[in-house]
Amino acid sequence: MSGDRRRLYAGSLVALVLLLLVPLGVQNGYYLEVLFRVFIFAALGLAWNLVGGYAGQLSLGHVAYFGVGAYAFTLLALDLGWNPWLGVAGGVAFSLLAALVIGSITFRLRGPYFTLATIATAEILRLLVLNLQDFTRGAIGISTPQLFPAAAGDRDFYLAAVLLAAVAYAFNLWADRSRFGYYLMAIREDEETAMAVGVNPARTKLLALLPSAVLTSLGGSLYASSFHFVQPDYVFSIDISNQAAIVAMLGGAGTALGPVLGSVILIIASELFKEVFQTAHLLIYGILIVVVVLFLPGGLIGLFGRRGRRPRAAALPAAARGEEGSPRHSSSSSM
Amino acid sequence: MVVLQTVLNGLLTGGLYALIGIGMALVFGVMRIVNFAHGALIMVGMYAAYFAFTLLGLSPYLGWLLSALLLFALGWLLYRGLIRPVMGQSDFMQILLTTGIWLALVDLAQLAFGADYRQINLALANAVVHLGPLTLSDGYLLSFAAAVLVIGLVYAFLYRTEIGRDVRAVAQNREVAPLMGIDVERVSAVAFALGAACAGAGGALLLPLFYLYPTVGDPLLLRSFVMVVLGGMGSVEGAALGGLVLGVAESLTGYFWTDSYSQVVDFLLFLAVLLVRPSGLLGRQRA
Repeated sequence: MSGDRRRLYAGSLVALVLLLLVPLGVQNGYYLEVLFRVFIFAALGLAWNLVGGYAGQLSLGHVAYFGVGAYAFTLLALDLGWNPWLGVAGGVAFSLLAALVIGSITFRLRGPYFTLATIATAEILRLLVLNLQDFTRGAIGISTPQLFPAAAGDRDFYLAAVLLAAVAYAFNLWADRSRFGYYLMAIREDEETAMAVGVNPARTKLLALLPSAVLTSLGGSLYASSFHFVQPDYVFSIDISNQAAIVAMLGGAGTALGPVLGSVILIIASELFKEVFQTAHLLIYGILIVVVVLFLPGGLIGLFGRRGRRPRAAALPAAARGEEGSPRHSSSSSM
Repeated sequence: MVVLQTVLNGLLTGGLYALIGIGMALVFGVMRIVNFAHGALIMVGMYAAYFAFTLLGLSPYLGWLLSALLLFALGWLLYRGLIRPVMGQSDFMQILLTTGIWLALVDLAQLAFGADYRQINLALANAVVHLGPLTLSDGYLLSFAAAVLVIGLVYAFLYRTEIGRDVRAVAQNREVAPLMGIDVERVSAVAFALGAACAGAGGALLLPLFYLYPTVGDPLLLRSFVMVVLGGMGSVEGAALGGLVLGVAESLTGYFWTDSYSQVVDFLLFLAVLLVRPSGLLGRQRA
């Protein structure tokens, strides 16, 4: 392990410990709630980043896994009497299933067709949940089971969000530095060439979608529980898909730190603007996207020197040929 | 007979969809840009027609012209200011940019007009005519007729004018067109603005039939994609046909199943068409 990487891992660990200690100093419920949102959306952005950032597949349908997590957790606990945490695990299982089905359909398509197909699949799920009323209570929505005792709610939700974001961040570091990650970046840069050096794009993209869907599903369950309520137009809203993508793009898609940075800035900005005008968060998101695309295509991370894209892509052929000395995780070498 | 009635109703809605779909097809065909702001532009067109009616007393059956002109100007400005810099960049960037415009327009409408549902009351639109055993709503008939007129105008523009011919030339081959002395920049601006104008006119003609609220265009955005995909990428005639197919499919779904599933059918249709001919569709996209 190079010194550079050791420093990165040590720094990340220190940051995680510090974040977990925050509730000792901050007990104000409102601040904890905002911080909870910061880390939930960091987790969602990091999850999206595996597919959208590293593999360059612009999914605008990630809310599918968010909503499946939220609903499965709620219904399993309420209707089947499962322990809520078991319900969360059930949500993960359903999201994996959804990812396998959605991924094998949508990853056959490219560019705008892929993006549209992801929106269409998420919309189909929203409409089904809305219409299968006997089963889902339809548009009325359902009160969610509680994951944490009410007294310590804010603190526990915050801690859970930080842990989820940390796991998602670890997955991004893995994508940043492993052979599997190089495959993803190869697909992003040029799918034909990636195929020519022996990457199976369909399978690789699907493999990236699985952890992405699991993390998004966990985020959905957690968020729904903190919100005390699920409703199809809310937990399957395209706004959530957009927000996950915006968080990553704003900070810097295809970097591990980017989505975290993006979430901190986006959530705090929308919190500040909420005081000024109540419904304007989408306007801010819209303007931010336009500004990022036109002036900061690499995201905010791009402002701090060009770490990230090019050198990684250039390192690809060596990694793809499996030469010695290329960074890898042994577990991922069986592609 | 009820089925015939259902099909007929579907065709009438489909004519309106067709107008919206050809707007999307124009932009896609000429510029290879998937315009995620298309639904928001339809919404802007509806608000324009709404205020033309409530403030000036202008019927949407004339007001569509005003909406179309306004949206043409807005489309032109959007192209010059925001879209042009991302021409030639990845799909990813273009989709994000137009998504940003979409969110901003919807939220601006929300800020300016609130989230209330609005509707105009036209005695004309609420009447019906009887054709033997069939009953047709005047509102749908009038909107359909106006949509056919607008589609005819767009068609005449494309096939009867110099600039229309340039638009078709760029749609056929973006690389060769400039060698023929065509100003691709200008043609792209015209195509984008014209696509927006179709959205504007379509929005105005939907006004007598639909409730109006800031996100009213969102499902229409997805519908326009379905039409463009159904009809073959970038084909204006195809998109118009796609609109009719979609209208009838939705109407039949409503009859045989329930209305709430008609959009599910849209999306399934969309995925099916994309998946059955993926290479064909992508092949044309890259051409």
